[in-house]
Amino acid sequence: MSTPVESTVQTLLILVDYDRCSYCGACVAVCPPDCIILHDATLLIDPETCTRCRRCIPACPTGALTLEETA
Amino acid sequence: MKTEYDVVVIGAGPAGSVAAKTCAQAGLRVLLVEKRQEIGSPVRCAEAVGKETVAEFIPLDAKWIAAEVDHFSLTSSQNDTIHFPPLETTLVLERKIFDRELAHSAAKAGAEVVVKTRAAGLIKNGSGLEGVKLIVQGVPHEVRCKIVIGADGTEAQSTRWAGLKAVPPLKDYYSAAQYLLTNVNLDQTVCQYHLGWSIAPAGYVWVFPKGNNTANVGLAIATDPKQTRSAMDCLNDFVAKNFQQSSILSQVVGGIPISNVLPEMTADGYLAVGDAAHQSDPMTAGGITNGMYGGLFAAQVAVDAVRHGDTSRKFLKQYEKLWDDKFGADYRRLYRLRQAIFKIPEEKINSIIRQVSQLDDPQPGMAQLFKIFLKEYPLLMIDIMPLVLGK
Repeated sequence: MSTPVESTVQTLLILVDYDRCSYCGACVAVCPPDCIILHDATLLIDPETCTRCRRCIPACPTGALTLEETA
Repeated sequence: MKTEYDVVVIGAGPAGSVAAKTCAQAGLRVLLVEKRQEIGSPVRCAEAVGKETVAEFIPLDAKWIAAEVDHFSLTSSQNDTIHFPPLETTLVLERKIFDRELAHSAAKAGAEVVVKTRAAGLIKNGSGLEGVKLIVQGVPHEVRCKIVIGADGTEAQSTRWAGLKAVPPLKDYYSAAQYLLTNVNLDQTVCQYHLGWSIAPAGYVWVFPKGNNTANVGLAIATDPKQTRSAMDCLNDFVAKNFQQSSILSQVVGGIPISNVLPEMTADGYLAVGDAAHQSDPMTAGGITNGMYGGLFAAQVAVDAVRHGDTSRKFLKQYEKLWDDKFGADYRRLYRLRQAIFKIPEEKINSIIRQVSQLDDPQPGMAQLFKIFLKEYPLLMIDIMPLVLGK
């Protein structure tokens, strides 16, 4: 029996550089599944609901978001 | 905090405070909640408003006016500059003080204002709205109400709870960054705009004087997945080139929907205002006074709805009509105008600005401008002129 293989891109994470993030919420508004949680100085991206559409990456004014690179 | 109100307003920015004030003035029981610990902070904006427009909402007060400007200029990436004749007098605000003053005026009108309180969801019964779940300084608290006004900004959650959230297309979303600079050597009586895709791709730069040798220097760029430079990268380049002696006193960033307003701004028991409803101008992304009008119109309809005992979407939809009557036609035109301008190649923009700046007449007539535009960019006749002429 074979097990379903998840595509690589689905397992990569959107990474947040907390030295750049200003917690402005620009990413939240363009996220279709609403998987970005913003509370004061906390920004979290839920890897379960994130579809890796990557719309948040160019929307970020400080360039704080990147897609994890494959090793 | 009580457990029952007529109206709960989520978010104490300009739109939310005007909504709360208007409802309270009409005698409704109003709660205005702000998730941050301080109203007006952090600021997220270029802070420019029309003087006469803002005066419709609040008496002018020197303590929140940083500068008063009635001259504007447009500079190309080759440093040619057009000076415009004075338009409406513009005020550059101290948003921190301005926002707090507006919230204060809501409280004076009878609204209850609280900070460090966030909304965590709407309480619904079927499609009807019964109240809102709040987290007050970390403690859950349920409040019953007839109407919720969502003024929770670009990152609004309330629009999603109400089933209205629309994700703007990236091309209709500005990514913006701004510094408050000091030691800037510039004419404090002019608001400058800079246009050039190499400086601000599909966007523009603003330099707004704030008095005392300071200025808001910022830019907005249309979000583009192919773009490798962030708004902050572009701003750093611009500042390094134009304001070498300056120091940075503060930094502001944010995203602004410029897609025109949400297709629906109301649901049963719910109205969205300000950036939550995408009410920023679809060309410049200016949104302070536009959001205040949104707050005013939403509140006027909410007051009527409570008095009539009908808070259904069918009733609340009057708000969308009020909005459309004032802003609808302009917004549709500005939306198309931005798209048309962004299609013009940078070298054409440079050439047009250079020729206009070299005209002998300081206030050239339409015919002269027409001639230059026609020569440089004939497509303009099709794309822009009908919009400029208001057709």
